[in-house]
Amino acid sequence: MNNHDKFEFGMTSYMIGSLFDDMEQRILSPLSYLREFDNYWMLEFDLPLVNKKDIKVIFDENIISIKAKLKEEYSEKKLGNITKFEYFKKSISLPKRIDVNKTTAKFKKGRLEIKIQKKIVGHSIKIN
Amino acid sequence: MIIMLENLRFSFNCKIIKNNDLKLTKIGPQEKTLLVGFPSNGLIGTFSISYLIHHLKMKCIGDVEVPYLPSTLFVEEGEILAPIRIYNKNNLFVIISDVPFDQYLAEKFAIAVHAFCKDHAIKKIMLVSGMESVNQKEDGPKIYGLVTHPILESELYDNQISKFLNGSIFGTDAAIISVFRKTNIPVMVLYAECHPFFPDPEASIIAIVALAKILDIKIDIKDIQNKIDTLRIQHRNLMEETLRTLQQEKKTKAPQIYR
Repeated sequence: MNNHDKFEFGMTSYMIGSLFDDMEQRILSPLSYLREFDNYWMLEFDLPLVNKKDIKVIFDENIISIKAKLKEEYSEKKLGNITKFEYFKKSISLPKRIDVNKTTAKFKKGRLEIKIQKKIVGHSIKIN
Repeated sequence: MIIMLENLRFSFNCKIIKNNDLKLTKIGPQEKTLLVGFPSNGLIGTFSISYLIHHLKMKCIGDVEVPYLPSTLFVEEGEILAPIRIYNKNNLFVIISDVPFDQYLAEKFAIAVHAFCKDHAIKKIMLVSGMESVNQKEDGPKIYGLVTHPILESELYDNQISKFLNGSIFGTDAAIISVFRKTNIPVMVLYAECHPFFPDPEASIIAIVALAKILDIKIDIKDIQNKIDTLRIQHRNLMEETLRTLQQEKKTKAPQIYR
C-alpha cells in the first residue's frame, strides 16, 4: 500500500527531547512538572518502580533535589547495548519567594507531589 | 452558497450541514471499522491502540509518509518502522502514530485519515484519547464517550459509557472530529480520565476494556497490568515531547479574555 500522494505535510517543528539519563551512574531522569496555584506551587515527579521509603528529597536554597532507589533494576536497550538503571535523580530550580518550612509531600501510585507554599510579601495600598 | 441574515447579505463559500440529516443505517460489527491512536494526554491512545494491535496480532499493511518531517524511523528488534503505520485484521483497521501532531499537522492528518476511509469503505471510526484528571477518584478512572453522529449514541448506552457533556477539545482529536462530523462516516471518541502530565498506562486499561466491549472481542489485560511501571519509564521521552506539542497548541487557543 502506498499512501504517499495523500499525505502532504508542509511544516514541522519536531524535536526529540532528552531527559539526560546517566548511563554510567545508572541514573534515570524522572518526568517532572511544576504548576502554579494562587498560594502555592505543585511540583510532581513520576517515580514508577519506587517505594516511598526509598525517596530522598532535599531542599537547598531554591533548588529541590530528589533521589529514589528503584525497587528492582530497570534495563533498557540503548544503541544496541543493554543499560541497567538503579536510581531516579533530578534537581529542579524553584521560583523565588517560597516558604520551605511549609512544604509538604505525598507519594501515591508512584507519583510524588510536593506542595510548596508561596511567601506572601508586600504591603497593602489604601484605596481612596 | 448565499446566506441571508437579517438584512445583511453574506456571500461565503460555505455549507450548512446538520449531521442529523446524514442518513446512516445501523453499523454492525461486520462493517469495516478504523481505530486511530496518537500521543495525547497520558499517552492513552498510544498504550491502548498498540496493545490491541499486539494482542490481536494485527498485520502492518502500510505506513504514512510525512515528507517534510525530518526523516524519522524507529527500529524495533532490527525491524525498521515508520512513525505512522496502518494495520489490519479482518474488518478492523488501525492507524497509529508514534509522533504527536501540532495543530497544522493534525489537520493534515485528519484529512488523510478521511481519504483512507473513503478508499477503504470504512463505516465507523473510533478514537481513544485521554482526559485531564488531576484529582483521580479512589474508585479509578472513568471513561466518557463523544459521538459525531446520533447513530453511535446507542453504542455508548449499550456499553455503559457516560456521554462527554461539557468541555473543550483541541489538538488531533478536534481536527479529526471537525473533518468527520461533516461526512457520513461517524466517529466515536473514548476519553479515559488520566494524569495530564505523565504516561498513564493504568488509565488506558479502561479504554482497552471499553474498546473490546464495543468491538465484541476478548482482550486479556494481564499483560499490560504487569507492565504498568515499565511502560511509564519507557515512555518518558514521548510524554515530554507530547506535552511540548500540546502546550504549543494551548498557546494558540483563545486569549485569556475569552476564557
